[in-house]
Amino acid sequence: MNYTYSPGWTTAVREVIIGATPDEGGTRRISYRIGGEQDLPFIGSSGHKPLIAFEICDDPAIWPEVVRCACTKLIDRPADWAAYADTVLRADLIRINLTSTKRRNFSDFDGVIKTVKSILAATSLPLLIEGSADLEIDSEVYQRCGEAGQGERLVLGTAEAARYRSVAAAAIAYGHCVIAQSPIDVNLAKQLNILLREAGVADDRIIIDPYTGALGYGFEYTYSTMERIRFAALKGDMDLAMPLISAPSDSLTVKEVRESVYSHEAAIAWEVATSVAAALAGAVILVVRHPGSVPPLKEAIDTLWTEKEGV
Amino acid sequence: MALKALDIYKLLPKKNCKECGDQTCLTFAMKLAQGKGEPDACPYLDDNAKAVLGASTRPPIQKITIGMGSRAFTVGEEFVFYRHEKTYYHQPGIVYLISDMDTEESIREVARQVRENCLTRIGIDLLLNGVAVRADSGSGEQFSRAVRIVSEGGDLPLVLIAPDPAVMEKALEICGNYAPVIGPVTPDNVTEFCEFARKYGVTLVLKGDDLPGLATLSEKCLSQKVQNLMLDLSGSSGRYVREATLTRQLALSREVTAFGYPVFMDASESGLSGVVTGIAKFASVIVTPPLQKPEMDAALVMRQNIYTDPQKPIQITPGLYRIGTPGKDDLVFLTVNFSLTYFTLQGYLEATRRSCWLLIVDTEGMSVLTAVAAGKLNEFVIKDAITLFKLADEVNHKTLIIPGYASPLSGRIEEVSGWNVIVGPRDAAEIASFIEEELKV
Amino acid sequence: MVSVDEAVSAGIKKIATEIEAITSLSGYPETAYHLPITYAISGKAVSDAASAKKVYLDTNRSPLIGNEILVAAGDRTEDPPYTGFIEDSIIRKLGYSLVDGSILGLALIVGNPEKADHAAAICRELQEKLMLTFLAGGVIRSLTGAGVKVGLELRLVPLGKTSLKAVHFTDILARVAMMFGGVAPGDAHRLVSYAADRAKAFVIVFPGMTEEEIACIDALRVLGIPVLHMGGYEGGNFIRVALPDAVRTGMEMRGIRVQVTAIPIPMACSPAFEGKAIRKEEMYAEFGGTRSPAFELLRTADQKEVTDGKVTVIGPEIDQIPEKSAAPLGIIVEVTGKAMKKEYEPVLERRIHNFINYGEGTWHSAQRDLIWVRISREAVSQGIKIEHLGKLLAAKFRMDFPTLVDAVQVTLITDPERIIGERKKAEAVYQERDERIAGMKDSDVDLYYSCTLCQTFAPNHVCVITPERPALCGALTWLDGRTAYEMSPAGANQPIGRGTVINADTGEFEGVNRFVRQASHGEIERCVLYSIMDAPMTCCGCFEAVAMILPETNGIMIVTREYKGVTPSGMTFSTLAGTIGGGAQTPGFIGISKGYILSDRFIQAEGGLSRIVWMPSVLKEELGNRLSEKIQAAGLLGFYEKIADETITTDIEGLLTFLTSVDHPALNMPPLF
Repeated sequence: MNYTYSPGWTTAVREVIIGATPDEGGTRRISYRIGGEQDLPFIGSSGHKPLIAFEICDDPAIWPEVVRCACTKLIDRPADWAAYADTVLRADLIRINLTSTKRRNFSDFDGVIKTVKSILAATSLPLLIEGSADLEIDSEVYQRCGEAGQGERLVLGTAEAARYRSVAAAAIAYGHCVIAQSPIDVNLAKQLNILLREAGVADDRIIIDPYTGALGYGFEYTYSTMERIRFAALKGDMDLAMPLISAPSDSLTVKEVRESVYSHEAAIAWEVATSVAAALAGAVILVVRHPGSVPPLKEAIDTLWTEKEGV
Repeated sequence: MALKALDIYKLLPKKNCKECGDQTCLTFAMKLAQGKGEPDACPYLDDNAKAVLGASTRPPIQKITIGMGSRAFTVGEEFVFYRHEKTYYHQPGIVYLISDMDTEESIREVARQVRENCLTRIGIDLLLNGVAVRADSGSGEQFSRAVRIVSEGGDLPLVLIAPDPAVMEKALEICGNYAPVIGPVTPDNVTEFCEFARKYGVTLVLKGDDLPGLATLSEKCLSQKVQNLMLDLSGSSGRYVREATLTRQLALSREVTAFGYPVFMDASESGLSGVVTGIAKFASVIVTPPLQKPEMDAALVMRQNIYTDPQKPIQITPGLYRIGTPGKDDLVFLTVNFSLTYFTLQGYLEATRRSCWLLIVDTEGMSVLTAVAAGKLNEFVIKDAITLFKLADEVNHKTLIIPGYASPLSGRIEEVSGWNVIVGPRDAAEIASFIEEELKV
Repeated sequence: MVSVDEAVSAGIKKIATEIEAITSLSGYPETAYHLPITYAISGKAVSDAASAKKVYLDTNRSPLIGNEILVAAGDRTEDPPYTGFIEDSIIRKLGYSLVDGSILGLALIVGNPEKADHAAAICRELQEKLMLTFLAGGVIRSLTGAGVKVGLELRLVPLGKTSLKAVHFTDILARVAMMFGGVAPGDAHRLVSYAADRAKAFVIVFPGMTEEEIACIDALRVLGIPVLHMGGYEGGNFIRVALPDAVRTGMEMRGIRVQVTAIPIPMACSPAFEGKAIRKEEMYAEFGGTRSPAFELLRTADQKEVTDGKVTVIGPEIDQIPEKSAAPLGIIVEVTGKAMKKEYEPVLERRIHNFINYGEGTWHSAQRDLIWVRISREAVSQGIKIEHLGKLLAAKFRMDFPTLVDAVQVTLITDPERIIGERKKAEAVYQERDERIAGMKDSDVDLYYSCTLCQTFAPNHVCVITPERPALCGALTWLDGRTAYEMSPAGANQPIGRGTVINADTGEFEGVNRFVRQASHGEIERCVLYSIMDAPMTCCGCFEAVAMILPETNGIMIVTREYKGVTPSGMTFSTLAGTIGGGAQTPGFIGISKGYILSDRFIQAEGGLSRIVWMPSVLKEELGNRLSEKIQAAGLLGFYEKIADETITTDIEGLLTFLTSVDHPALNMPPLF
């Protein structure tokens, strides 16, 4: 006798394609499909294996100290850092966080675009770009990033309810995807998706970031919000049927990691633990910053995925 | 599906005799519906009602207590699939694994770790729960030696892993009366292990080849009047997640009562990620070789997070907290005792690299917005907190900075407390620029 | 004076003749959209004269396509500063700025202005209002002659020497629609709706255009683009405007709004000051609060009657009002806006309270003709006048309701005689409003509204708000729900199509069930609006009152938040609230607003009002006359006295004795279950 249980799912999570190979109009060596699940995470035969993104930045001043220590030689060379994440760490995706744009009175738009282009040249993995977070400069930053990556199906972040127009415009104008971030609330996530749609972003270009609270400091809210978004999607709410991304970077700066005598081990443990839980709640892109987090997380996702039915 | 209060009421005698302790049968029915009462409290139930109520108000997952004394822990008695539906009640025990081939010294060291390791967060001590001893030697003497070493303190709950009944019996002679968990129970040894269960009152861990095999074992034990059972779903994390999900669904829906028992998981193969998987996905006892300190901390905190009641947010003890080393002239910020608010604000205040005071008032764990709306954050609560925590003794000014969402209270706070109020930003992220641009200090 | 109609028909003919004559076609460079207008409308990638002629005929000689073909066939060289055809990569940037909001809309100016400063004034205004302006024809020479700099980066784009080059304005629109609007080439229908809804554009024409040019400009109307002129034309669909109104009219017609960001008064305004009271000793003067006549009223007015930002004070200003005195104050806010509706008035009017409290030195309390306002001495010393209250309100309404309100003007009355008459008028409006909602029935409307605000703590709770069943928190009526939805279409209040009626008596509707199922994330299958027993509405925790059955009595009791004591159910309000809240559906129990008790739909499924056996005296008093009237209307003689309260009993046995003694109707009603 084989046991089954039907929770009454009606809908699949939308598939989103990220990155573009030469055949698809880009220059990446691979493109990924994410989403497509018709059941809970790791259950059933549908969907695609979660991906691991390694996140780097162009101005390490605000980067977690423990990561700066772990990446000393690369920290000021984003292109080499990206190549390292690709060839040595074997991440699935690279995310460049344009931290330089977060400085006061930022104006070096040319410099930022040079960085983006150098990373696109240094790695052929699909790229996520985390841009500015300031309405004053958003318009220029996202327009330039969008243009620089035209054809590559970048994932541009981050759209928020109070400032989403520039990200949306860049995605529409240059054919990219958007990360839609809302503050740990299922209904706000839904509202933002509707706003993006009204701005003209196609539903299959949206990835939901419900915001990942730090482990021990609100992560449980994120965990449940992810579960609720996934549940709502499977039950037919098309406004929430988008893949989820989780970036547990807040967990790198909590007291327990910052003050630990084994700060690297702590950083890895907290990042991996948070990422695994996020994957179990439904996240399909896991963004980590500590280089030591990639191998154990990869192994964990592999084990969770290997014996999946039909895979 | 759980019965609603009214469905239960229909089964009650409707006498309002008050013998159950409640004023009316309807009140009693509401308690039962919430799983807060026992049908037996009603002396007038007929057999049919007893059967229906017993089945539907009994937790769909058996409650089991492991160990004796202060370190004993309870698992099972869960009602929901998602924590947001209500809450997960009994957090899993994290149990460190040793082999009976290990040296006495290393066994002692692991037992010491389990006994002494403690991470205190938000006023709560996070502890490991017990020790699992595995009979790798195949010898009863060797096994009982290891068990004896661990049992010396007489305090730690035990998991005994030895498929051979003869080996197991040796260990039970030492610790069988301390409510250990024993296994693995397979079709080969089920008869002997059921006897152990009856003799010592121990909990059995059932291990089937697959889910049907597991169900058969479970039914067999029940037929032998053994009810303290756990389901061993150890395997690759992927398989574990699928089986744990399915058994939980079938147990909660009461479709397969043979799965209505807590889940046992051996995470030896998968380390921290396996432990996290068990925590998130329904495990009640997780066995792992000793973890490094940072991994152990991460696991303990993850368990605390996942098992926090979503409807009862973690609260910070109200009081006057210091950020850095504040002096008499430094700023005083006020906020609520919702942990997330506190931690967020604390983080941003620390980031400003300036010392200040943080006055936390009791809003029963509500966030600022909800506390203001519900009247839990009001001028009187604030006035009382100022007095109780002797704010006036610590600073030589009378100015409070309150959260932006509390701005409607500013006038009343000034009136009632006599302190001046400055309204701060709504978002803690803006606190640095607020201090710089608005306060110009 | 040129007759537009005559020019258009002559122009169309001329274009047709010229098309006949073309022999070759050189395409545009740096574009993937061929001849963009032709491609967008017909889906055809025209590459030579023959195919161009065919498309022209196939599209019924569209002047837009004809014009594009002629321009593409003619001499395309343009000397600086003219841009001529603009390549795709630049259009992408322009489109980006439109989506991203850094450009609010598009304007096209064509023709030959008689006076250069007229065109210059219009261009300056368009620049200030974040519009992207395209220029074609003599207007460019006229502007540059007057020293106005033009260029893409200045948002004044000189397309070409003749007005015919306005075709490039149209090909830009067509490409933006294809690039950003997902408009497929050949889908003329979607092109038109994109141009109408998204690419907000208008045209201003000066005299001196040829007939072909007039025909081409006129043809833009199919894209929903209005054509404005200041003289020189008559007839047709060109709209005559006065020069100073041209830009404003164009923007209003297309619903393009400039955001207000500053409040022009000498006082800080912020939500941070909302809770700040002004004590008597800090006060300069006060208004209303029973000390003097006062009222506030917000009403919609015709666009023509409202001058944005205008504030009129009728009566003495603050410097003529003696310190520490109480003076009259009437606040009349008149708003206009295409999306504004009469129903929104009360909702916006409530914001006057918040806005005045935002002022550091102003304080406001209560509503309608009960308002009480104070201005602080400090504010007055910094120069705050009565007039500034108006400026504050006008700016805040524009800021907070940009999509609803296009213009606001405020009248403040401090004249002791004038206020009496105006207050009477306002009171008539209040009464009319009350009657409007009071008279509304659930069956009068097809749409109800949801509220899922409480899902933050009650994850599956869905409130269904109907005219006769306000939200269970008592804070939202059906009109409020609708207003909230229309003001924020992606928000927590969504329309619910009632759908097929499953049972009109119990209030079960197929559309409501479907909505609740989805919004509860699949947890709640049915929601029967007027029932307490059968799939009643879920409860969040904010309800004003709980109604629950008392099976022993065959009736229901109601207990409100204010009543702290024990009830005949054996439970207090807080115990009950804790048991049934959190978004659960609990037959036999509902969370309700007090207002719902007086509704004709109140537990209609179970027989309504006559089921009530107990409620706390505080509620009974509050409902008072209104409840008595309902009882009378229902023909339940003496029923008011048959409802027990805590002064009669708080236990079930006492209640039963009482009910029997008064022969309560519930005792003889059909069993509840």
